Amino acid sequence: MLKNYFKIALKVMMRKKFFSFISLFGISFTLMILMILTAFLNTELGNNAPMSKKDKMVFIDQLSLLYMRPDTTMVLDSTYVGEILEVDTSYTYDKEQTSRSSSSPSLHFLEKHMKDIKAADNYSFYSNGHSYDVFLNNNKLTLEGCYTDANFWEIFDFQFIEGNAFVKQQLDNQEPIAVITERAAIEYFGRARQVLGEEIELDRKIYKVSGLVKTPTSGQMFLDSDVYIPYTNMHPKALSETHFLSNFHAVYLGSSPSKTPLIKSEIEKTASFIKMPNPERYNELEIYALSFVEDYAHDIVDHDEVAQSKRIFAGTLIGLLALFFLLPILNLINVNISRIMERSSEIGVRKAFGADAKDILFQFVFENILLTIIGGMIGFLLAFVLLYLINSSQVLPDTILAFDYKVFLYSIAICLLFGVLSGLLPAYRMSKIHIVNALKQNIYG
Amino acid sequence: MVKHILTLIWNKKKSNFLLFLEIVLAFLILFAVIAFVTHNVRRYVEPLGFESENLWVAHLDLETDMDSLTAVNNKERLLQELSQMPDIKSVAYGCNKTPFRNSANITGHDDNGFYLLSWLYRADEKFDKTLGLKLIKGRWFDKSDSNAKYPPVVVSQKLLDEHFGEREVLDSIFTIEDDQNRIIGIVEHYKAFGGEFTDEKPLTFFYRPSNSIETPSLYIRTKEGANIGLEEKVNNHIATITKSNNFIIEHIEQSRVLKSQETWVPIIALLSICGFLIINVALGLFGVLWYNINKRRAEIGLRRTLGATKGNISFQFIVEILLVVFSGILVGIFFAIQLPLMDIFDIENSNYYYAILIAMVVILLIVLICAYYPSRQAALIHPAVALHEE
Repeated sequence: MLKNYFKIALKVMMRKKFFSFISLFGISFTLMILMILTAFLNTELGNNAPMSKKDKMVFIDQLSLLYMRPDTTMVLDSTYVGEILEVDTSYTYDKEQTSRSSSSPSLHFLEKHMKDIKAADNYSFYSNGHSYDVFLNNNKLTLEGCYTDANFWEIFDFQFIEGNAFVKQQLDNQEPIAVITERAAIEYFGRARQVLGEEIELDRKIYKVSGLVKTPTSGQMFLDSDVYIPYTNMHPKALSETHFLSNFHAVYLGSSPSKTPLIKSEIEKTASFIKMPNPERYNELEIYALSFVEDYAHDIVDHDEVAQSKRIFAGTLIGLLALFFLLPILNLINVNISRIMERSSEIGVRKAFGADAKDILFQFVFENILLTIIGGMIGFLLAFVLLYLINSSQVLPDTILAFDYKVFLYSIAICLLFGVLSGLLPAYRMSKIHIVNALKQNIYG
Repeated sequence: MVKHILTLIWNKKKSNFLLFLEIVLAFLILFAVIAFVTHNVRRYVEPLGFESENLWVAHLDLETDMDSLTAVNNKERLLQELSQMPDIKSVAYGCNKTPFRNSANITGHDDNGFYLLSWLYRADEKFDKTLGLKLIKGRWFDKSDSNAKYPPVVVSQKLLDEHFGEREVLDSIFTIEDDQNRIIGIVEHYKAFGGEFTDEKPLTFFYRPSNSIETPSLYIRTKEGANIGLEEKVNNHIATITKSNNFIIEHIEQSRVLKSQETWVPIIALLSICGFLIINVALGLFGVLWYNINKRRAEIGLRRTLGATKGNISFQFIVEILLVVFSGILVGIFFAIQLPLMDIFDIENSNYYYAILIAMVVILLIVLICAYYPSRQAALIHPAVALHEE
């Protein structure tokens, strides 16, 4: 039975080449785009090393100092009561923001105020974005340095190829050691292995390489550094400054994703109790404690309110996705209706010989699934080629879109959904058709 | 005629409904993508106002390990020694809100009696030459400006357009940030905050002499074809004088390309997805129309026998399809128009109207192309053959 359906399906496909081409084109390209999109979203938002716990993380990247001055608005309401003018005066007391300074928080601020967040299991303070130009054999190399504490290595699970992360002891001793990425090793030493104990010079200081990690292929927005150094090696002046604003970041790790709102509210509450050191310049403080997705959305949709950025980001993404996939499905249904209607004489004959509606429905859905699977395989190959091209051309700098099994499974599932969805309606319509009509409609061979 | 066609459409409402739905969706997608693209492209084509080629910026680290006096002396020394290098055309200092970065200083207040919003940039007297700014009125700062009674400012044409309209403002005094300032010059364009895809901001330049601690970014305009050797020399020079390596030399042209890549990638991705969808829809439409028209051979044969010309037949089918498509577009416009009305995104409204127009034209064109061939085929049917089949 199935073998017969299979034969018929192939014969029909070969006979109606144009319609088959339309269907295959639609299916394979839609699936290709879907696979690339899921690979992209998985790379950007999924839990990949070194941010395998990103859904449990809360970040403080930004702090704003504000000066608010009281602003009194007087409103005069005048009405005529009889012949006399009555005036009603009301005052609104408000605050007006007159100056604002935003930046990353300083180490001083974080250590003094943001250490005891009880909802979090672990925290780390680090400072990235320190770029150094190094000239090697007539080549310029820009290295990104990141100064971290020891907890950093517990929160972010970098994959160590050689050596180890530094520990608290080494941090306290100000040991001049560095953990470098594979990319930095290749660029600086010209080789990807056996770099332990080598020396790397940054900002006129010599650091000994104590660890080699894999270069992260996702999450560049957060971890794009090449060299990681214990922060106690920073310039003494940078460590002793007492401003609130500087270039440090904080990350907190909760025991589960559901803890992140607790951590956020605790940080905000702690911040609201902080006394400002020079209230005549800045008298209020705004802190941005964000989960990974919020931070990501805020970076893309720069809106004053973080919740609003997240809504716009998610809304746009879902809306576009829905539109992009409804259209090909609709198109497929449309084409399928024509494809199937054309075969009304065949259905008429089958019905006349005793096939019931269920058999007809099953046959057409089966044919559609077969078509979708063939289209899916073409789409899979196309996606594979395109992903390779995207990765090798570095359109997305340093990002490697992975082609993993999960994406493959999603795609297969979506493939089948497509097949059933686009085949069901026309097949249902056709299975209900009356024998006489079906036979009669075939009027043009 | 139209009424008759409407009846025909209504009789086939089931298959027409799917076509209609497809047009609504295609219109909405095209609309969204085109709105995004025109919004960005219109910003992109606005001039930058400065030359990004052969321009380097060294972000000096003045704060660590230097008392302010040494820092000031070092800055002066660097300026003098670097401008004497043969491959360097000119050198200037500015504050750290350098081009194509996201950070900015902004002021907004109503101290002048109207609300004034301005981005702020502090620069020295050689900044305009080094960046290649174009002054359309007045002059740039000079050394004498440091002890002026009202600190001089140079504003951008954009600031004038937004806040002053046609008013003559040269030599007038306004409060821009905290103090009262005299406007001494007007710069044509300076689109440097954000990137090329960010709109130009209203801007005020403030004067800071080269030895000011507030301007740690060193702009270097090199001659054409400056090589890595010069860069290493400059790097060593700065490192020796400031006794720190905590700086990089940024190539502004590279930053420009990298920054605009952030927007080019989604634009190109969206346009190619859109192109694929259009081809997909066009193919589907062609197939469906072809099938639908072929199914009505008997009807066509009858009409031809009764005296309808070939043109009449094609016309009937095209009008039939266009009516369905138009109703789809109308419904699409109803949804699309909500975006400018509700003002959800930070996109200028005219972009939405352009997008509606372009999306409409594109869809009509595609439908016409897809409908033309099948209707032509239908018109060519010989009445005798069609009726014979019946």
